Amino acid sequence: MRGLFISVVWVYFAALLIGPIAYLCVQAFGGGLTVFLNEVVRPEAVHGFWLTAEITLIVLLLNVIFGTVTAMVLARQRFWGQTFLSGLIDLPFSVSPVITGFMLILLVGPGTILGTWFGTMEMKILYALPAMILVTLFVTFPFVVRELTPILLAIGTESEEAARTLGANEWQIFLRVTLPAIRWGMIYGATLTIARAIGEFGAVLVVSGNILQLTQTATLHIYQSYVDFNYVGAYAVAAVLLAVSFLILMILELVKTRSSAVTEQSISIPMVQP
Amino acid sequence: MRIPPYVERFSAVARRFIIASVVSCIVASSALFHGVSVSLAGERELMLAIYSVPKEAYENKLIPAFKQHWKERTGQDLRVRSSYGASGAQARAIIGGFEADVALLSVEGDVDQIAKAGLITHDWRKGADRGNVSASVVAFGVRKGNPKGIKTWEDLTKPGVEVLYPNPKTSGGAMWDIIAIYGAGMRLADPKQGPAEAQAAALLKRVQKNVKVMDKSGRESVTTFERGIGDVIVTYENELLPRIKSGRPMDLVIPAETVLIENPGAIVDRSVDKHHVRDIADAFVAFLHSEEAQQAFAEYDFRTVTSAKAGFQPAKTFTQPAHLMTIAELGGWDKVASLLFGPQGLWTGAVEDLARGK
Amino acid sequence: MSRHALTALALRSAAIGYVLCLILLPLTAIGFQSFEDGLTRFLDDIQQPQAKAALILTIEAALLTTMINAVFGTLSAWVLVRYDFPGRAFLNALVDLPFAIPTLVAGIMIAAVYGATSPIGAWLLKGGIEVLYNVPGIVLAMLFVTMPFTIRALQPVLMELERDQEEAAYTLGATPWQAFRRVTVPSVLPGLLTGVFLTFVRALGEFGSVVIVAGNIPLKTQVAAVYVYGEIESYNPQGATSVSVVVLIVSFLALMLLERLTRPPDERLPVLLTRVLNAQWLVLHSNSKLKIQN
Repeated sequence: MRGLFISVVWVYFAALLIGPIAYLCVQAFGGGLTVFLNEVVRPEAVHGFWLTAEITLIVLLLNVIFGTVTAMVLARQRFWGQTFLSGLIDLPFSVSPVITGFMLILLVGPGTILGTWFGTMEMKILYALPAMILVTLFVTFPFVVRELTPILLAIGTESEEAARTLGANEWQIFLRVTLPAIRWGMIYGATLTIARAIGEFGAVLVVSGNILQLTQTATLHIYQSYVDFNYVGAYAVAAVLLAVSFLILMILELVKTRSSAVTEQSISIPMVQP
Repeated sequence: MRIPPYVERFSAVARRFIIASVVSCIVASSALFHGVSVSLAGERELMLAIYSVPKEAYENKLIPAFKQHWKERTGQDLRVRSSYGASGAQARAIIGGFEADVALLSVEGDVDQIAKAGLITHDWRKGADRGNVSASVVAFGVRKGNPKGIKTWEDLTKPGVEVLYPNPKTSGGAMWDIIAIYGAGMRLADPKQGPAEAQAAALLKRVQKNVKVMDKSGRESVTTFERGIGDVIVTYENELLPRIKSGRPMDLVIPAETVLIENPGAIVDRSVDKHHVRDIADAFVAFLHSEEAQQAFAEYDFRTVTSAKAGFQPAKTFTQPAHLMTIAELGGWDKVASLLFGPQGLWTGAVEDLARGK
Repeated sequence: MSRHALTALALRSAAIGYVLCLILLPLTAIGFQSFEDGLTRFLDDIQQPQAKAALILTIEAALLTTMINAVFGTLSAWVLVRYDFPGRAFLNALVDLPFAIPTLVAGIMIAAVYGATSPIGAWLLKGGIEVLYNVPGIVLAMLFVTMPFTIRALQPVLMELERDQEEAAYTLGATPWQAFRRVTVPSVLPGLLTGVFLTFVRALGEFGSVVIVAGNIPLKTQVAAVYVYGEIESYNPQGATSVSVVVLIVSFLALMLLERLTRPPDERLPVLLTRVLNAQWLVLHSNSKLKIQN
């Protein structure tokens, strides 16, 4: 039975994931190592990598902060409209990227209130970096919240209450009691955010203007290469993105295993008593 | 002094937090500067929105040549920013706030939309060559050696022939392709068999029946064809020629009845006035109509629009189809587009009929 | 107001404000756009034959994807948690990759590997299965992007499900099937439901990969997202937003349902749910606790 299950899972993974990714790697190196390297250090590609990194970093920071806050609010508080709020959290998953971009245009495009206001302040939102950050923020929003809410629910408020009675203020409680407990959930959510932000394509295509060497992220550069019939180039850059994400995920796995032995003893946060 | 354990842990967290804040501040401030157009002393910037097909022509020849000319003429260093994408998407982006100074698109309908939105305030059709900068014809790409012997539009309707063209809703090129089918249908109509329009509609349906894939842009259609899908692709001639030149196993077939594709280029008044680059934009458009630019276009397998000029010899000669039609002959862009693609359009109806099995 | 309550209020406002601005506001803009010309126009838009066909196809394909994902995702999660075998860590790290791959690249990869011109595609074609430019292709693309959801939702739960709970059931005389039904399934259900619903919702909105592998023939192989894109591109934003609104409403209802099913209405969490949530916390601290099964 065990053997059968494992085989089936291997086949499933191979058919769905390993096969296509192997194909991607083969294509990326199809022209040889020199061609691969040439494609990856082209000015457009390098610019794409930098831009993607910038956007990812900013989105990561905002998402971790606001995601944590939202998770704490959802887990710790009861208020009217909570279910509604919770339902909204996962909605970005189902919004197609074209619509995501389109929504932003509807909100801050020319002729809208917000759009004109930004215009008078000489701030470019659409077809510039801010719009790209906003749409990436939108699509990565669920990750941190989804990771943290169950954890916060599980660890309960006993420790925090105890700390409060001992005279700690809110910030201290958060830093010394809550944060260490949710640390891993945060890191995992952050990792997923990074991975998703790196791979975002559709929405950014719509709101960035796709201006060469100005607003082309790595994924947009891949698309440009693809429609320029430069398949090797497209696959090469895609392979790099993939490798980065995979690396981050593997590091996370390793660090988790390494440190779990240490943290198990030192953390004594009581779980919710059934 | 003994450091309490929670302070140690706090320090670790706080340390990370501080590093993160510092890094993000640096990043955020660089992000803000992105939005500000950095204009160095003496450097002016021109923003172009171009449809996807002529990218190589512009990037490799036309833009560098123009920058050179401008420098020679005025001594100014010019920075040209360019964006390539589907014609319709570019038009919508401009309408949606993308501040391109010049729009070089694939179909006049898209330029009209920009004009309708109030961003182009001059009559762009009054310019040189009626506002068009390049041309091509609708042609077939077939597998090398033309194993299925595809030569005419009727051949596309034969059972077992798989046809490729993109979705006209998202691709200007596809609109040209389908207009060509319609034009051919009108031309080939037998007056004894009833109204020409009905016969053209029937041809549209018969061809559409053999279409299994509709990509969202012309370029993507070609990549699909190159991947081995389909027996014939209907697209711009200038898309097929470079691929054939670079060794792809395909052949070009120009049907006897086909449509002349004309690609417009116009200044976006509101942008040029806002950026104070009207002089550059005007010069650029004028340059595109010049012989030098038209030769460059010909090098990249575009047909030129200035062949009427006395003494102008394009770099290469193109096959002249027996019955070349222009959009004007067929009734003008607006009329034909709504006739074919509107909610009650001939093409729209054909698709729906086919789905219902009629 | 106590400092605690004040902070709580401040946090709540910040969270609500952020969610409203980032998520609700843009979505409302879409809603306004589609109802700009009134309800009749909206209904008209979504009843256009192409729109209706696209919506039905999308929901059908998403449901199919969800079912396949539920089965294989559960199996994968089970295997990854319960068994140790060479390559387990590798597979585990792979699971999150679909999040990182740009959907465009996913589509190209799938089209290349399963297209009629590839060995696998040709082999399938001989068996009568035409993957690309048909519903199987759409489902495949949707499967690819939703793969992590079920697996990641189930893993923590399965990890917690202590073997001795099941063993206890055995000593009390339960058959493996009874143990599965009465002990395993209820503990696992919230995780499974989460994974399943998220899969469905995500599959509904997928665009980048589907547009490459589907034929996109209107009324036949065109999903809602592609239809929406087409309408936007042909200057019919109302038609586009109307269909999007329908998809969003379906997704939202599904998510609300999920929320109701997996979260108790009152303060005290029931026993099994508690264990589930403890498990999700536990897993992040106790990789070494992973039960190794033979």
